[in-house]
Amino acid sequence: MLRTALGKALKGAQLSPKHARVMSQQPKKPEQIEVFIDDIPVKVDPGTTVLQAAAMVGVEIPRFCYHERLAVAGNCRMCLVEVEKSPKPVAACAMPVMKGWRVKTDSEMTKKAREGIMEFLLINHPLDCPICDQGGECDLQDQSMAFGSDKSRFTDIEHSGKRAVEDKDIGPLIKTIMTRCIHCTRCIRFASEVAGVDDLGTTGRGNDMQVGTYVEKMFLSEMSGNIIDLCPVGALTSKPYSFTARPWEIRKIDSIDVLDAVGSNIVVSSRTGEVMRIMPRVNEEINEEWIADKSRFSYDGLKRQRLVTPMLRDNTGELRPVDWEAALLTVAKQIKNAGANVGAIAGGLADAEVLVAVKDLLNRLGSEALCTEHTFPMDGSGTDLRSSYLLNNGIAHAEEADFVLLVGTNPRFEAPLLNSRLRKGYVHNELEVALIGPKVDLRYQYKHLGDGTDVLQQLIGGGHEVSKKLKSAKKPLIIVGSEVLERPDGAAILAVIQKLSASTKAQEGWKVLNVLHKVASQVAALDIGYNPGVDKIRENNPKVLLLLGADEGAIEKADLCDNTFVVYLGHHGDHGATIADAILPGAAYTEKQATYVNTEGRAQQTLVAVTPPGRAREDWKVIRALSEIVGAKLPYDNLNEIRDRLDEVAPHLTKYGEAENANFFKQAQDLAKNVKTQLDCTPLDVKLKDLSDYFMTDSISRASPTMAKCVQAVLKQKQSKF
Amino acid sequence: MSYFGLDRIFKLMKTIKDYGGLRASLYKLYRIDNLRPGRLVATDKFGNKYYENNAYFYGRNRWVEYAPKYGLDYDASQVPAEWYGWLHYKTDYLPSEDPGRPKYKWMAEYTENLTGTKLQYMPYTTTNPKIQAWVPPSKK
Repeated sequence: MLRTALGKALKGAQLSPKHARVMSQQPKKPEQIEVFIDDIPVKVDPGTTVLQAAAMVGVEIPRFCYHERLAVAGNCRMCLVEVEKSPKPVAACAMPVMKGWRVKTDSEMTKKAREGIMEFLLINHPLDCPICDQGGECDLQDQSMAFGSDKSRFTDIEHSGKRAVEDKDIGPLIKTIMTRCIHCTRCIRFASEVAGVDDLGTTGRGNDMQVGTYVEKMFLSEMSGNIIDLCPVGALTSKPYSFTARPWEIRKIDSIDVLDAVGSNIVVSSRTGEVMRIMPRVNEEINEEWIADKSRFSYDGLKRQRLVTPMLRDNTGELRPVDWEAALLTVAKQIKNAGANVGAIAGGLADAEVLVAVKDLLNRLGSEALCTEHTFPMDGSGTDLRSSYLLNNGIAHAEEADFVLLVGTNPRFEAPLLNSRLRKGYVHNELEVALIGPKVDLRYQYKHLGDGTDVLQQLIGGGHEVSKKLKSAKKPLIIVGSEVLERPDGAAILAVIQKLSASTKAQEGWKVLNVLHKVASQVAALDIGYNPGVDKIRENNPKVLLLLGADEGAIEKADLCDNTFVVYLGHHGDHGATIADAILPGAAYTEKQATYVNTEGRAQQTLVAVTPPGRAREDWKVIRALSEIVGAKLPYDNLNEIRDRLDEVAPHLTKYGEAENANFFKQAQDLAKNVKTQLDCTPLDVKLKDLSDYFMTDSISRASPTMAKCVQAVLKQKQSKF
Repeated sequence: MSYFGLDRIFKLMKTIKDYGGLRASLYKLYRIDNLRPGRLVATDKFGNKYYENNAYFYGRNRWVEYAPKYGLDYDASQVPAEWYGWLHYKTDYLPSEDPGRPKYKWMAEYTENLTGTKLQYMPYTTTNPKIQAWVPPSKK
């Protein structure tokens, strides 16, 4: 570990020597070599390890320290296997295969080696499985059953006790029980390679080795929760989840995270109708096997500040709980009185089903005032061409890029998993990153070009120092944050970036222009045909305003007429609910089967893990019921029928798992020539600059006590001298 | 007379007379499915009447007629504890005559089984609710 870190420091933190070797571009593919795993022949590329070769023929070799997505450490010795004519067993995870090797994974020597290693591990491991949170999903438990000896020579005759290590306080999310640690160093490697926070390391050696932070410091990163999954034993467990449930009594539902626009794949674990924890699910196209801390730990926000019953504001101005009938009749009466003068604002957590239901309802009433909370420039091609508002090149391909220009975005907090891709490219692929916007900490080096819009002008002119790099790069990416496009001169910024993207010499099929959104609903809303921004509402001053979970305060009570009747449909009592005259409780993303489209235009669906609390109902069903009372009955009664309607509006919305391509860059650029707006001279800014800004960004995470603790921890860490 | 079984008719008529006429007897028959002549032993404080007729065999010679206020909703738990013993042949003493029966001021009033009524015992939950509802901020 020290060697890697030192090497990095000497090379100006450019690259670790280990990775440079692996990733160097080979001009031609070398010949494959044949090896035999348990007498099964397999052809592999040179440099393949024994463990990988064995995996190809379906032979799994036990391991603790080896992980596909981390550097090889080779220190747990669990993967020892016998190789014919080798006097000693070899560590399969670190040893590249040689031509004609015969590996025996089931021989007497291999078995003996495994049993020996397991015995050593168990001597230094406490027997506290019954009170351990990892119990039931513990690699050490499973492998000691499968590969360990049936007896132990460990008898504590002296009653001296087992090895014991002091627990560390590494923050409000991760609980450490360091006595259980088997020194696999996965957490250390994750922290330094993926998260880019080189805080963890080892001290001492042999029996006195300890994993820790050297000084008393919290391990604070937006990706820190992943070390819980990586830990093969119960040394690192989840603090909020501790002692709440066992893996075998949990119901696991595959779902999608909606707290950022990445759309990470998650598994929602529930028990007794409660979400117990959220874990990542492998999706190589999006999140690999990581998820960000907000996605993982903000689930306790789903149990607080919930809207559980419909409410109406009475004549004293107080919100009072009522039943659905009264609420729907009152809202319907108001809508009937308003006629076509009805508006709707979609917030960041609205799903595609409710978006299309509301659009259909308002269109039937003769209104077009459908807005999203987050704005987007409408000059030029606006939202007519999808390529203008998507992360066109996809999240997975970001790691292949050779030059990335970030404009007014902080991907580390707006899309932590995109940032981990960029970091991966930086570490393994010699990716160069430049940033226009406030100087933020991305956990990798980048060239800061300043935060003024004049830099964009210079880049267009070709006079800037990075212009040449951008022009010559084969796989350049320009990632622009949706936040700077919300500025009054957003159209001009987008036009400049479209022009800049077109001027690059990217290879065929590589899409330079990428827009990074911050909220999960935005792409679906724009696809369905919502108007970005709430200007239309401000102009029209509708008599009835429907808020679909709009909680960011884009519109205030002061912006509306006194007699505007505000209806809030959502799941949390936040900004939107306080200004509402009627509240219709909806379902959160763990409580409904709903479609979300992520920032790269990939439609995915959440599934029902728990039922909505109290009298809350799925959002689109509320709109459907309301439409019948209003007298503009919507023609869908079940999920399949509304999905057929989604399919009618935009077919890609129901192609789950696929990212629909958008390719009209040239047309968009031609239309952008009509943009009249001029670039402003105000500097580009982002809201999420620091880790303390990251944790609470929407109505769910704002209601979460765990997220509040994280913010406190970050602030406390800032006071610390380390 | 007894040869023709006429005595039974006289007995029936006497019983009907004792019960207070044909209408009262039919009501009794409707309420407790039985017309039995017997000696009224005592009436307890709830209005239940206790009868004995040794012409019936042991085990059927003592019975209770529940107070009229119970209507058809009578059940065995309406017999107070002190009458239980006499009714079930644990003792031949009537509660008022029983020398061994303790009587203290602090003894609670007998209550029937209240299950299914508004007064029934309802345990309340001691755990926190899983979902905390939003409470709208009040307008000061």
